[in-house]
Amino acid sequence: MLMAVIVIVEDNAQSGRLAAKLLSRSGHRVVLTETGEDGLTTIFETAPDLVLIDLGLPDIDGQTVIALLRQQPALAKTRLIAFTAWPEATAHSMAKAYGCHGVILKPIDTRRFVAQVEAFLAPPEPIA
Amino acid sequence: MTTQPTEPPPSKTFAVLASQYSYDQLADIYNQARVDYIVPMPMNGRRMAEYVRDYDIDLNASAVALDGENLELGVCMLGVRADRAWITRLGVIPERRGRRIGQFLTELMLENARARGARRVQLEVIRGNEPATRLFYKLGFEPMRDLMVVRRPPGAPSEQLSIAGAEIEPLDSAQIAALLHEYEQTQRPAWTEEAASLRNLGNLRGFHAVLPNAERGWLIFQRLPFQLTHFVFGGALSEPVVQALLYHLHKTHSARDTKVENLPTDHPAWRVMQRFGYLEVFERIEMHRYL
Repeated sequence: MLMAVIVIVEDNAQSGRLAAKLLSRSGHRVVLTETGEDGLTTIFETAPDLVLIDLGLPDIDGQTVIALLRQQPALAKTRLIAFTAWPEATAHSMAKAYGCHGVILKPIDTRRFVAQVEAFLAPPEPIA
Repeated sequence: MTTQPTEPPPSKTFAVLASQYSYDQLADIYNQARVDYIVPMPMNGRRMAEYVRDYDIDLNASAVALDGENLELGVCMLGVRADRAWITRLGVIPERRGRRIGQFLTELMLENARARGARRVQLEVIRGNEPATRLFYKLGFEPMRDLMVVRRPPGAPSEQLSIAGAEIEPLDSAQIAALLHEYEQTQRPAWTEEAASLRNLGNLRGFHAVLPNAERGWLIFQRLPFQLTHFVFGGALSEPVVQALLYHLHKTHSARDTKVENLPTDHPAWRVMQRFGYLEVFERIEMHRYL
């Protein structure tokens, strides 16, 4: 697996740090942000390979951030993954409606998490 | 200044007025309390400040619960409008639960509502939050109706949803004010969607739709930089009228995300909204009790 640039937008510091640590250890370059606004700025600046985004954020909510990202042609190749503790059915339905490429539910399984993320780095098409 | 409920819990719990905390501090306590919530909806200090302003939260009637070592346990807020009150933002920090803090705070809000002349108290609880629902029943609340939080991703509506011959006229601020006055006389929305909330929110826009058969209706909403929210429908709410309103809205604001909170499940617009791609995220139960 090639090293990827990954932006995590997660307001829960503990959860965000854990995800960042696991992905960094696997050789990926990870940028962790805690708000929708910071996440947008970072994503526009870095045009990452993949974004893990919490659906519940303290400033702009996650779906709205995803909607904004989906409208940026420069980010057409960026994989958007909903990273959420919402009920599974709701998370999948929202992720699909907003054009995410997938969902990773929290709390994460630390043994599987990196493989879950990497599986989205070379996927076919969005589920939308 | 501290305040005490009618029935203190068994521990050394006490309450401090929420007004003694900054908005950032209140948001932090609230976020800690809701971290494992069914649908976590964190806030920052700015959003907490807007929430307090928009929904007429009285921070001198709202409280933070503390233990004997001044450790924050949870928070609860009270909105007050004339002789009605609204309990909101109730949450207890997960590792500090099991000490009847939720009951302590809710009873305190009821006492504060009574002291402010409220005759009725209302609240919403997310469907599936069984501990909170049980608590509210225990304290005498009764369910009134089911409310939905619904969303629609950005995108222009299908041309097939256009209503032939519909005429659309924008509403100016005086017309919006007049229609909100009419709305508050004739409809019974959830607290967050009341005319008083909308007046506090600002950034309101709206328009009329008139159909060839002379049916007419209107829609007022809040337009944020990236989002449309707080919908109020009025006039004739036949399906063609609602369809004409929504078609114009999403045609005009096709790049904006949409979130509508606390829409009654039996709202006449809901059937039509689904044609435009609206999805239910979760439901709340609206409850109330008289004091």
